[in-house]
Amino acid sequence: MIDQFLLGLSVVLQPEVLMYAFFGVFLGQVIGVLPGVGAITAISLLLPVTFYLDPTSSVILLAGIYYGSQYGGAIASILLNLPGTPSSVVTCLEGYPLARSGRAGFALLITALSSFVGSMIGVVVVVLAAIPMAAFALKFGAPEYTMLVALGLVAASLISSGSQLRAFSMALVGIALGMVGSDASTGQYRFVATDALADGISLVSLAMGLFGLSEIIRNAANSEARKSKIQLSFKDIFPSKAELRSLVAPVGRGATIGSFFGALPGTGAAIASFMSYAFERRVSRTPEKFGKGHLPGLCAPEASNNAAAQTSFIPTLTLGVPGDAVMALIIGALILNGIIPGPRLIVDEPELFWGVIASFFVGNIILLIINIPLIGIWVRLLSIPYYRLYPAIVLLICVGVYSHRSSVTDVVLTLVFGLIGYIMKRYRFEPAPVLLGFVLGPMLEENFRRTMLLYGGDFSVFVTRPISAVLVGCGALLLGFTLLSAFISHRRALKAKHQQGGSYSV
Amino acid sequence: MLKKLMLALPVVAMMSGAAIAADDYPDRSIRFIIGFGAGGNADTVARLLAEPMTKDLGQPVVVESKPGAGGNVASDFVSKSDPDGYTMQLMVGGHAVSAAMYNSQPFDPLADFTFISTIGQFPFFVAAQAGAYENIEDLIAKAKAAPGTIKIGHSGVGSTQNLTGELMDLETGADFIHVPYKGGAAAATALLGGEVDVVIDTGTIMTPQQEAGKFDILAVSSKDRWPDKPEVPTLAETVAPGFDVVSWTGVGMPAGVDPAIADKVRASVHAAIADPEVSARIEKLGAKPSPSSGEDMRAMVDSQIAVWKKVVDSAGIQKR
Repeated sequence: MIDQFLLGLSVVLQPEVLMYAFFGVFLGQVIGVLPGVGAITAISLLLPVTFYLDPTSSVILLAGIYYGSQYGGAIASILLNLPGTPSSVVTCLEGYPLARSGRAGFALLITALSSFVGSMIGVVVVVLAAIPMAAFALKFGAPEYTMLVALGLVAASLISSGSQLRAFSMALVGIALGMVGSDASTGQYRFVATDALADGISLVSLAMGLFGLSEIIRNAANSEARKSKIQLSFKDIFPSKAELRSLVAPVGRGATIGSFFGALPGTGAAIASFMSYAFERRVSRTPEKFGKGHLPGLCAPEASNNAAAQTSFIPTLTLGVPGDAVMALIIGALILNGIIPGPRLIVDEPELFWGVIASFFVGNIILLIINIPLIGIWVRLLSIPYYRLYPAIVLLICVGVYSHRSSVTDVVLTLVFGLIGYIMKRYRFEPAPVLLGFVLGPMLEENFRRTMLLYGGDFSVFVTRPISAVLVGCGALLLGFTLLSAFISHRRALKAKHQQGGSYSV
Repeated sequence: MLKKLMLALPVVAMMSGAAIAADDYPDRSIRFIIGFGAGGNADTVARLLAEPMTKDLGQPVVVESKPGAGGNVASDFVSKSDPDGYTMQLMVGGHAVSAAMYNSQPFDPLADFTFISTIGQFPFFVAAQAGAYENIEDLIAKAKAAPGTIKIGHSGVGSTQNLTGELMDLETGADFIHVPYKGGAAAATALLGGEVDVVIDTGTIMTPQQEAGKFDILAVSSKDRWPDKPEVPTLAETVAPGFDVVSWTGVGMPAGVDPAIADKVRASVHAAIADPEVSARIEKLGAKPSPSSGEDMRAMVDSQIAVWKKVVDSAGIQKR
């Protein structure tokens, strides 16, 4: 294992290859910061360039864009509440409040460090366990995915910091929005008012509207909120030793959850970050601090989505089956270079396989090095007066959303979602559950209906298949624990009230 | 940025009211519309052609993505564009499938287009886990012996892969369960994990798994054996006489393009395909480079629409 990794390092440390790794992660970082422009857009634009590169450099370049964008996505989320990628939605929840309280630089540094540690743990998992993890991932069939997503929904219902009922109703709205488009099981169109909606509502336009744009509208309407608070002294940016020590456990948990979810084809970084956020909240002794800039809630999901970004290469590289659109593009680049990735890649092209994995290691170090000095520049962004900054951001959002699938409808919808998001905020409905429902709802439906088709409508498969049964158990425990703790705290409150009432009667 | 500027060029040119004449054609950039997102197979093929065609015609050929509704958004746009030769479309096998899958389309898939040439053709392969079946006859016999038990994974309802599977039901009399996945890779993953028994998809998905000893390729959907894999029998010669499904990529324009201009574009497309580097890349994508006449392309689309309509009706697939 170590020998092969060193072989990979020798490939990636050639100056030319190293240059492509640097170019990839740098571009990814920049693309990730731009609202709405995702790694997919950048990778597909650069795909023709890879005709002229050797296969190893091509994949190193494109992969660098992908995991580099995971770093970049956090920056816009923290500074402006603009989730560049679905996985950075939860970064907004804790990072943006920190920035509002003047600790943007601190939040960015913590995020960069957690991302780095998470990525490195992900890389180690890839190096040590790629083959067994790929074999394990193949054990996940439709019933397992159904239960995994259901577990995700249960865990996610704990995300809301306000009323459970409001959060639940928002998740339902998200599920309903997720149904727009063609039904995966029959191909029938649902709620398709115009052809532009035939492929569903764009996740980017929903996220940009509900989070970023609504925040801009709110700030424009509220003169107090426009005052930017900046702290630039490096002394305030660096966390204390005690703070760092308290973050080791959340980062470790986040990276573990992320490494696991990343390796499952098709679930990916977004679910990993939602799950690790919910998990942190569950294990926290101070759950009430979440949503107000609580550090474990920032670190764990960041470590998680970066670890997932690394392990998501496992099914692609070891089995030749891409888990998502980004991976499909990377496989496309390999095919055009005459290499069809499959289970034999590791044997037939060891230099490519290990070179790419070693490039993750090198690329993440580069990312950390370029990130820390950039923090000062990013924070300064907030000192631009709002009447210059906001119009520029709105324009960038529109361009970013349009770039996804060249659809004007998507841009219009983003503006509509922005208004809806503003109204929701005024009446204290949170946007995060909408997004969760939107992402998880269709996955739940698709896998549930596939299970029913595969097993002839037999519900017992969910408990007779071992992995699925374990997931059902986890969900039941989580739900039971939540209900129980709610019941106990309710009883305590009643008792306290009763005692109070009693003292009055005397 | 440059790309965006290029897109504005035709608009500027149109406003100047340039005269349409085959001799001067082309005197400005040509839009090459694709109906799918950037980075997919269609996008790659379009970009492969755009470069040599730009050199050949002396004007930029600009690839523009209008994704949506399985390519219908792009087809609708192209069918309603000016037939001046400055708008062309990368068509795919889905053009014929859509005609069968949709109750109504805002355009006529035959009458509203000028067909230029096919670019590449590719078949589908029927694969199972290694050692699961002796051969295709064995699979069909077992499927007939136990109707409604053997599962075929495919890349989505209404995909050509899905309809090819349904056609196999129809032609052999076997009764498979057809399970939709999101794309061929997801279906192949399901076969690797043993969730489905059979997958029907392209060579690019099947070949690496076959080479690694994971899949057996049992049959090919084309009329004749495929040059890449001469050892794989056709469905036609084994279990379904007359079976012939190939998907394709091709170039189309709006109806009513001046025949002289259409000929010029066709010659340019053929020259691009003849370039050894381009044809090598088309082959890497699992297709056979296959330049054709406009009439041949039109006749192929026409016959495929008829086949898919029959399959959609008899398989009871709900139309959109």
